[in-house]
Amino acid sequence: MPVLPFVNTRQRQFEALVRAHSGELYRYAYWLCGQAALAEDLVQETLLRAWKGLEALREAEAARGWLYTILRREHARLYERVRPGIDELDDEQHAVEAAWADPERQGSDAELREAMLALPPKYREPLLMQVLGGYSCEEIAAELGVKANAVMVQLFRARQKLKEALSERSETNHGLS
Amino acid sequence: MDCLEFRRQLGAEPGRRDAAFLAHRDACPACAAACARAQQFERRLAGALAVAPPARLAERMLLAQATAERTARRTYLQRGLALAASAGGAFVLGRFLGPRDDDDESLRALAVAHLPGEAFALGLKQPIAVSAIEQGFLNRGIRLAASPPPDVTYVHDCPVGPYRTVHLVMQRDGLPVTVIYVVGHRNRAHDRFERAGWHGTVVPLRAGTLVAMAANPELLAGAVRDWRLSLDGPAASGHLA
Repeated sequence: MPVLPFVNTRQRQFEALVRAHSGELYRYAYWLCGQAALAEDLVQETLLRAWKGLEALREAEAARGWLYTILRREHARLYERVRPGIDELDDEQHAVEAAWADPERQGSDAELREAMLALPPKYREPLLMQVLGGYSCEEIAAELGVKANAVMVQLFRARQKLKEALSERSETNHGLS
Repeated sequence: MDCLEFRRQLGAEPGRRDAAFLAHRDACPACAAACARAQQFERRLAGALAVAPPARLAERMLLAQATAERTARRTYLQRGLALAASAGGAFVLGRFLGPRDDDDESLRALAVAHLPGEAFALGLKQPIAVSAIEQGFLNRGIRLAASPPPDVTYVHDCPVGPYRTVHLVMQRDGLPVTVIYVVGHRNRAHDRFERAGWHGTVVPLRAGTLVAMAANPELLAGAVRDWRLSLDGPAASGHLA
């Protein structure tokens, strides 16, 4: 081989990883933080960390879970560094609302999206891991460091809260019409 | 499993497929109806969460990684050189790390020596946009006369020794072909070489010089032909290098 076949293989592996997972990582990041630009930053940080630690990835099948873990930690680290104040949270909420106000992003699920963003993180995070990441309760429990039963309760309540929010909004709309 | 346990599991994990769960669903019409409603909600939820990622996200991520890698490598080299200089060992370092043949300063030696520093580029497989390639040349003050080859996967305006160059990689027959176009330095004659496992050709082209390198020498003529067409335009590129 002409030059450094190890680097070559490593780069190829990384490129495959990026192409296979960047889209779903972005979705996960978006629903974790609620901001498009911040989500992209999180994905970038995640993938840069993945590149640095690529040797730690032993099996291709484990890549997805590994990347999700890095992203969750990056998100937590971000909030350790910058703890959003009330004003910033307002801005964040406005940004999210503006994003969904875009006609291309509007749809029948807008209410569900709003309800999702309004969920407290302790309910939203396991639900995202399950719906977007395909994690089982046991896997979520292992990742979050809690018991599987606690995860089941969080997931149950997350769905209940979403349904309640949709139901309330539906009643409000009927009341207005 | 009773109805209470079924509903508890359904609320937490509607996608469950274990035998006890499915058996109860099949045996209890009320729970089967609840399961159908839950599945419907899950489909709606999955659809609502399916945010479209930004356009060309993967390419942007790969570019960020390539840039970070380049910066890290440069810092590493600078530290190494500073250390060598402070120890009075720059000469020794140069002899061991640099090109070792008699023509250390020749363009071909510098071109080959440039490759390990950007070895990651050899592994890139996705063709990049024509606009990115054109911009790479524009950064060096060159406007292409015709479209670039469609299989370019990397472009960067690199310094190679004292030369200002555009560094490109193409993928041909599953192998990388590296092209380094040297701006403002025109070699007097064509040249062929074999060095460090690379076959190469050096061709005067327009007001500069094109150096093409590949592990397989049969890939070089096509690469030179394509870049002659891009740089000179169809009218001027009637013959091969």
